[in-house]
Amino acid sequence: MTMPVLRSLAPVLAIAAVFGLVATLLDNSYHQLMLTLVLVWACLGLSWNLLSGYTGLVSFGHAAFFGLGAYGTVLAHVHLGLTPWIGIPLSGVLGAAAGLLVGLPTFRLRGHYFALAMLAYPLALLYVFEWLGLQEVSVPMEREAPAAYMQFRDGRVYAWLALGLLIVIIAVTRWVERTRFGMALLAIKQNEAAAEAAGIDTLAWKLRAITLSGAIAGAVGGFYAVILLVVTPAAVFGMLVSAQALTVAMFGGVGTVWGPIIGATILIPVSETLHAELGGMLPGIQGVVYGIAIVAVILVAPEGIYWKLRDRFGRRAKADAAARTAAAPPVPVDGTVQRLPVRRPPPDTAVVLEVRGVSKSFGGLRAVRDVGFEVRRGEILGIIGPNGAGKTTLFNLLNGFLTPDAGRVLVHGADMAGRKPHVLCRAGIGRTFQVMRPFARMTVAENVVIGAYVRAATDGEARRLAADAIARVGLSDVADRVAGGLTTKQLRLMELARALAGKPEILLLDETLAGLGHADVGDVIEVVRRLADEAMTIVIIEHTMQAMVRLVDRFVVLDHGAVLTEGTPDSITRNERVIEAYLGKKWTAHA
Amino acid sequence: MGPRKTGLGLSGLLLAGTIAMGLTAPPVLAQQPAEVKVGLLVPMSGIYARPGQVMRMGAEMAVDHINAQGGIKALGGAKLKLVAIDSGDSTEKAKNAAQRMVAEEKDMVAASAAYLSSFTLAVTEVTERVNLPVLTLSYSDLITERGFKYVFQTSATAASQAEQSLPEIVKLAEKASGKRPKSVAIITDNTAASVSSVKPMKERLLKELGIELVVDETFTPPLADATPLVQRVRSARPDLLFFLPTVISDAKLVLEKMNEFGLGQGRVPTISFGIAIAEPDLLKTMSPALLDGVMTVVANWGSKGHEALMAELKSRYNEPWMTQNAISTYGDMWIIKEALEKAGKADREAVAQTLRAMDMTGGPTAYFPGGRMQFDGKGRRVGAGLTIVQWQKGTPVTVYPSELALSEPFWPKK
Repeated sequence: MTMPVLRSLAPVLAIAAVFGLVATLLDNSYHQLMLTLVLVWACLGLSWNLLSGYTGLVSFGHAAFFGLGAYGTVLAHVHLGLTPWIGIPLSGVLGAAAGLLVGLPTFRLRGHYFALAMLAYPLALLYVFEWLGLQEVSVPMEREAPAAYMQFRDGRVYAWLALGLLIVIIAVTRWVERTRFGMALLAIKQNEAAAEAAGIDTLAWKLRAITLSGAIAGAVGGFYAVILLVVTPAAVFGMLVSAQALTVAMFGGVGTVWGPIIGATILIPVSETLHAELGGMLPGIQGVVYGIAIVAVILVAPEGIYWKLRDRFGRRAKADAAARTAAAPPVPVDGTVQRLPVRRPPPDTAVVLEVRGVSKSFGGLRAVRDVGFEVRRGEILGIIGPNGAGKTTLFNLLNGFLTPDAGRVLVHGADMAGRKPHVLCRAGIGRTFQVMRPFARMTVAENVVIGAYVRAATDGEARRLAADAIARVGLSDVADRVAGGLTTKQLRLMELARALAGKPEILLLDETLAGLGHADVGDVIEVVRRLADEAMTIVIIEHTMQAMVRLVDRFVVLDHGAVLTEGTPDSITRNERVIEAYLGKKWTAHA
Repeated sequence: MGPRKTGLGLSGLLLAGTIAMGLTAPPVLAQQPAEVKVGLLVPMSGIYARPGQVMRMGAEMAVDHINAQGGIKALGGAKLKLVAIDSGDSTEKAKNAAQRMVAEEKDMVAASAAYLSSFTLAVTEVTERVNLPVLTLSYSDLITERGFKYVFQTSATAASQAEQSLPEIVKLAEKASGKRPKSVAIITDNTAASVSSVKPMKERLLKELGIELVVDETFTPPLADATPLVQRVRSARPDLLFFLPTVISDAKLVLEKMNEFGLGQGRVPTISFGIAIAEPDLLKTMSPALLDGVMTVVANWGSKGHEALMAELKSRYNEPWMTQNAISTYGDMWIIKEALEKAGKADREAVAQTLRAMDMTGGPTAYFPGGRMQFDGKGRRVGAGLTIVQWQKGTPVTVYPSELALSEPFWPKK
C-alpha cells in the first residue's frame, strides 16, 4: 500500500468511527435495526455502483445476485446446518458465479437493452424459487450456540457486522477506483469505442466488474437473510430490491464510493420514519411523500447529492484554477509555428503498415473498393477525399471497428484485418477520435493514463508513460487540471497524448485538425510533425486539404470508395482529377 | 431487553422518538388502574391493507366490549389499550414494524399479528426474542414448526384444514348428488398459503379418498387471462374443482371464464380454500349470480351465535358480513383478556404462561370453531376446527359444521 492509498482510507475510517459510535450508543433495538438496514442497503448500493456507476450500464437486476445470496445462506443453514459465518462468503462466491453467467450473454446488449435484459433475471428467479416451493424459508433459531450461527440478542452486533461488511466493500471499491480497473470502467462509461481503441479489453473488464459486483451483492444478500430471518422470493428477488439498490446510489451520487452511503443514510430512515409515523394514520401516504421527495431531489441534483455538494463547495477552488489558467501563457510550442520548415521526406525506411485490396460493402453500397497503399516508418500519410468518399469506413477497417469483406491489413507483415480494436492497440496501432469524449471530471493526467495501461505492467509505470506522453504534446502545464475546463486545442492534444501513452508505432488520427482555429491548427501540426521526426508513423484522415498540405509527406486521395490517386502534396494540389472530385468538372478548367 | 416500564401513556409515546430514554420520569396522570397494552400488527397500507383494516375493526370492537364490561377484573378493572401498528406490505417492513413495536412498547403484554403468513413468520422472529406472546390467524404450518414458545396459532394449519375438510366435501357431494366424486381439478396460485393447502392433497389425501387428480395447474397472481386454465377444466370435465386464489381479481377472472365456458353455476362444483373468494370486495366487480353455490374452506367465519357481532360490524363499519379476519381478531382480544384474568398481572411472561396452560370450553372459545381453547406444545390450538362457507343469494354463509351453520348447504345440480 502506498501513501495515497492510506490517505484515501482516512474518510473511510472517519465513517467507520461515526457509524460505530452511533451503533454503540443506540440502546433502542428498533434504531439498531434501522442502522443495520442503512448499512445493508449502502452495501448493496455500492455493489450496484461498482457495475452501473462506473461502467454506465444500468442494472435493474441486482436483486438476482442479492436473492441468490440470501437463499444460499439460509438454505445452507437449514439443510446443511452451515453457519452464516461460512454461508455468507459462499453466497459471495455464488453471486460472483451468477454475475459471470449473467454477464456473458447480457453484455452483448447496450444501453436500455442491457437495462431491460437485466430486469428479467430476478423476475425469472422469483418464479423459479416459487416453483421450487421456497415461498417462505425461515432461519432456524439456534438456542444452543447462537453466536456460532450469527444470532445475537444485542442488535448492536448486527450493526457492527454490517459496518465491517461496508468497510470491506468500501476498501474494494476504493481499490477499484484507484487502479486501472476503475479507469477502464470509467473509460467504458464515457465511450466504449474509444476505450477499445485505447487498448482496453472492454468485455473482459465488464465481466470482471459484474463478477465482483455480483459477489458483493451475494454476500450482502446472505447477511440480509440473517437480519430478516425469513426469506421469501418477493423480499429478496422483488423489483423493490433492485430499485432500492439503484435509488440509494442515484440519490446519493453515481460513480463514487460515497454516493450509496449518503443515499442509504438519508433514504432508509426517512422512508421508515414516514411509514412509522404516517402509515397508521393515512395508509399509503408514506409512499407518496417518499416518491415526491425523491423526485424533488433528483430534479435539484440530477447526478446525486454528492456531486451537487462537491460542485457547490468545489466551485470556488475551480474558479481560482480557471483564473490561473487564463493568466498562464499559451502552451509553449516554439515561435516558428506559422513558418514551418519544409519537411524532408523520410529516408527510405521499412514499410510498417501495408493495406492490400481492402473492400467493404454495406448492403448494396460498396463503401470501400479494393483500396491499397503502404506507409513507411516516420512517414505522415494523409488520407483525404470529399464527403462520402469512404474515408471513415477505411479508417474503421484499419483500426478494427469494421471487418473488411476482402483484403489484408498488414502490420509488419502480419495480417491484422478484422482483429478487435484492443488487440490492434496492443499490436501498436493507436488512434484518436473525431468526436472528443474527454472524461470531464478527471484531470488531464487521469485521462491520458487510460491509454497507457495497454503497455504498462504496473499502475506506476502507466503514470510515467502518461506523463511522458503529456510532455510530448506539450500539455505538462495543465496535466493536473480537470479536462472539463480545457480548450478545443488542448482537448485534441490530450486525445493525442492518450493515444501516445500506449506507445504505438502507428498513429491513426481522425480529423484531428477539425474545428480548430488557424493558429491552433499550426500548433497541432507542429506537435504531429515532431512525433513523425521521432520515427512515429502517422496516418491522418481529413476532409479539408488546406492544412494537410503543410503537414503530410504524401496523400492518398479517395473518391467513391476507391483510390483516386496518390502522391506528394505538390502533385496532388495540381492534379485535375482531384480538383474535379472536390469541386466538380466545371472548375477543372479554371484551376 | 431493558427494564419494563408501565404507565408511560402519551408521554411515553412522545419520548419514544428520542434516544435518551429514562432521563425524565413520566408524570402519573390519574388514579385509575394503569391501562394494559395489547398490540395489533397488521397491514394497514399497501395491497393487503383491506384485510388489515377489517382485522382492526374486529380488534377495536373486542377492546370496546371488554372495557365496557369492566375491563380486566383481576387487575382492578384495568382497561385494555389497543396499539395498532401498520406492518406495511413487505416482509422487511413487517419485521421493522415488529422491532419498532417491541422497542417502543416495552409494557405490551401480548399482540395479534400479522395476516399474511410471511409477515407473521418475520414478526414472530422478533417477538419470540423478547418473549412477547403473539396470537395469529395465519395458518401456514411453518409458523408453529420452528419450536417457538410465544406463538399461538388459533387457526387450524393448512395441512390440518385440508385433512379435515376433504372428507366432509366428499360426504356433502355424495349426499347431494347421489354419487361419490371421482375426479378433481386443482387450479391454485403459488402463494405460500395456497401451496401449503394443496400439498397434502396431492401427496396423500386425494389418493386416500380415491379421487383422481385430472387437472393440476399453478399460476402466479395476478392472472392476465384465465382462458387456458378453464379450457383444461372443460376438456377434463372433473366432478369437482378446487380453486385457490389469493387475489380477488384472479377469483373474478376464473369464475367469469367458467361461466362463459358453460361450466359455472354448479356444472362443475367449485370449492376454494381461504378467504379471498368470499371477500365483500368480490361483489363490487361480480354478479352474485355467478358466485351462487361456490364454497370455501376457511379456518373461521361469522357463524351461529355471532349474530349480534355481525350486526354491530355492519352498523358500525358497514361491513356486510363477518370474515375470518374480523371474528378471529375479535376472539384474539378475548383470549388475551382471559389470560390476563388468570395471570393476575400485566406481564407478558405471565400471559404467555397462562396461554400455554389454558384449557377451557367457555369464554373466547365461542369465537373459534372446535369448541375448545387449549394450545399444544407447538402453540397450535388443540382441536382447531374449520368452517365451510357457501355463497347463497349474494352472501357467503356458514354451512358447516352444523352446530355453527346459519344455513343448509346446497349442492349445485348438474
